[in-house]
Amino acid sequence: MKALGLMGVAVVVAAIALSIGAVPMSLPEVLQGVLDPSGPAGTIIWNLRMPRITLAFLVGGGLSVSGAALQALVRNPLAEPYLLGISGGAGLGAVAAIALGLSGLFAIPAAAFAGALASSSVVYWVAAVQGARLEPRVLVLVGVVVSAFCGAITTAVLTMSEAALLRNAFLWLLGGFGTASWVSVVVFAAYAVVPIGFLFGANRTLDLLSLGDESAQALGLRTERAKALIFVTTALLTAASVAVSGMIGFVGLVAPHAIRSWLGPLHRHLMPAVFVAGGSLLILADAIARTVLRPAELPIGAVTALIGVPLFAVLLRRSLA
Amino acid sequence: MTRFLFLLSAAVFGCGRSPLPPAAVRVTDDAGFATALPGPADRIVSLVPAATELLFALGLGDRVVGRTQWCDYPAAAAEVPSVGDGLAPNVEAITARRPDLVVAYRSASNAAAIGRLRDLGTPVIELTLDRLADLERGARVLATAAGRPGLGDTLIARVNADVRAATQVLRTRPSVFVLTWRDPPITLGAGSFLSEVIQLAGGANLFADRPEPSFVVSIEAVAKRDPAWVLVVGEDEPAFAGRPEWQTVGAIRERRFLRVNGSMFNRPSPRIGEAIRQLAASLGSGRGQ
Repeated sequence: MKALGLMGVAVVVAAIALSIGAVPMSLPEVLQGVLDPSGPAGTIIWNLRMPRITLAFLVGGGLSVSGAALQALVRNPLAEPYLLGISGGAGLGAVAAIALGLSGLFAIPAAAFAGALASSSVVYWVAAVQGARLEPRVLVLVGVVVSAFCGAITTAVLTMSEAALLRNAFLWLLGGFGTASWVSVVVFAAYAVVPIGFLFGANRTLDLLSLGDESAQALGLRTERAKALIFVTTALLTAASVAVSGMIGFVGLVAPHAIRSWLGPLHRHLMPAVFVAGGSLLILADAIARTVLRPAELPIGAVTALIGVPLFAVLLRRSLA
Repeated sequence: MTRFLFLLSAAVFGCGRSPLPPAAVRVTDDAGFATALPGPADRIVSLVPAATELLFALGLGDRVVGRTQWCDYPAAAAEVPSVGDGLAPNVEAITARRPDLVVAYRSASNAAAIGRLRDLGTPVIELTLDRLADLERGARVLATAAGRPGLGDTLIARVNADVRAATQVLRTRPSVFVLTWRDPPITLGAGSFLSEVIQLAGGANLFADRPEPSFVVSIEAVAKRDPAWVLVVGEDEPAFAGRPEWQTVGAIRERRFLRVNGSMFNRPSPRIGEAIRQLAASLGSGRGQ
C-alpha cells in the first residue's frame, strides 16, 4: 500500500513537471503536445521536458540508492554518495577539462567520470590494505582527505583560468539537466541498469552489513568481498551521475533517511522506495530550477538543498520525538 | 626644528611659484574614487585587456609597461611584459614594473590587491569596461591620467563617427541567439557588449528583454522564441549544433548561423565599428559568411 502511494506521488510529480517549464503552457496545450509530438508544444514536451524528467528520475534514484548502500556500508548516517572522494575527483576532472579547453561533446563528462574513478580508486587503495579489514571509519577518513586534496587542486586550476571560464566551471559543478536529451537518457540508463540492479539485489547483504562486521560474519556473510563490491558499485554509479548532470548534493543523503524513518531499516523494502523517492525529489527540484526564474535557470544543487534541508530537519525532529 | 622651518619655507616658496611644475593630474575613476597623480602617468600597468587596447589606440602604447596574459590586441601589446592575471592580480609582479599608475577592472575580486597597491603608494584607477558606453568614459579617464585629455576626445569622436557609419537599419530586426557556453547553456542578455553590437548591426538579441549580461537559459525558451539566426564567434560549426536537445531550435536544425571572427567581438574597443560592419554584412545579406 505504501509502495503504491509512493508510486502515485512519483506519477503526480512527473505530470506536474511535464506541464510547467520555461514556456508557460495551458493544460489543454500540454495534453495536445503529449498527443502530437511533432507540433511546437509536442517538440518541447517530448524532446526537452520528457528526457529531462526521465534523466532527473534516474539520476536522483541512482544517487539515493548509492547513499542508502553507503550508509549501510559505513554504518554512518552522514554517508552520502560523494563521501568516498568521488565528488572531489569528478570536480577536478571536469575543471581540468574545462581549463584545458577540451571542447568535444563528451570531454567534460568523460573527464569527470575518469576523475571520479581515479579518486575513489585512491580511496580504496589507501583504505583496503591487504589482509586488513576494510574499516568504515578509515574509509570515511580517507574519503574526506582525498576530497580535500582534489578540492585544493581544483581551486588552484580555477585560479589560473579566465574569469568567465571560472564561473562556467562552477555552474557545471553545481549540476543541472539543462542539456538532457534522449541520447543522454539512453546512455545513462544503459550504463546504470547493472549497478542499480546490483544494489537492489544486495538488500540482504546491506541488512547484514548494517549490523556490523562481526554479526554479519557470524550470519555467514563474506564481509570483505561484499564491502568491496558495494564500494565499487556505488562509485561507478555516482561517477556516471556526476558525468551526466554535475554534482547534485543532498538527494543521496535525504531520500534514504526519509524513507528509512517511514518504512524501517529492511533494505528489501527500502531500496525500491528510496529509488522512487530520490527520483521524484530530483524531478521536483529540476522543475523548480527551470521555472522560478524563467527563461533563466537556477543551479539544481541550490534547489535540492532548499527543499532537502527543511524536509530533513522536520523528519529528524519527528524521529527524535 | 630648523629642518621643519626649512621644509615650511620651501613649501611656501613652492606655492608662490605657480603654476606647479608638471601640473598634478586628478582623475575620478568608475568607482567614484578621485586619484591625484603627481604628474601625467608615464609607466602604466594595465590589468584590463580592453584598457590595454584603449591605451594603444590613444597612442599611449609606449607608456604601457605591464599587461595581463589575456591582452592580445594590438600585436605590439605582446611585447610588453605580462604581470599574469588581471583579476586578483599579483601585487609583487605589478610593483616590479615600477608603475606610476595601475589600471584595474572594477570588481570585488580585485579589492584586496587594489587596497594593497594604494597602501604601497601606487595610484590605481578602477574601470568598468563592459559595454559601449564604458568605452567613452574609459578613454577620457585614461587620456586624462596620461595628461593628454585631447587624445581621448579625438579617439571618441572618431569611434562615434565610425559607429554611426557602420550602424545598419533593417526593415525588420532579425532575432539573433548567442550561446556562450554549452553546459549549462549560457546566453547573453541586454547587459552585454555583444548584445549592443547585434542591435547596432540591425539585429535584435533574442534575450534583449533580460537586463543581465549573461544567464543560464532553458533550451525550451530558445525553441519557443524561435531565433532567425544563431551567432557563432570564431568557430566554423559550433559543437552544440549536433546535439539532439538543440534540434528543437529551428535555426540550429536548419544551420542558420551568422559567422563572425575576431577579438573585437569579445570586448568593447575602438574596433567596434569593424565588429558592427562584419555582423551587419552577414545580417544584411541574409546569410552567414
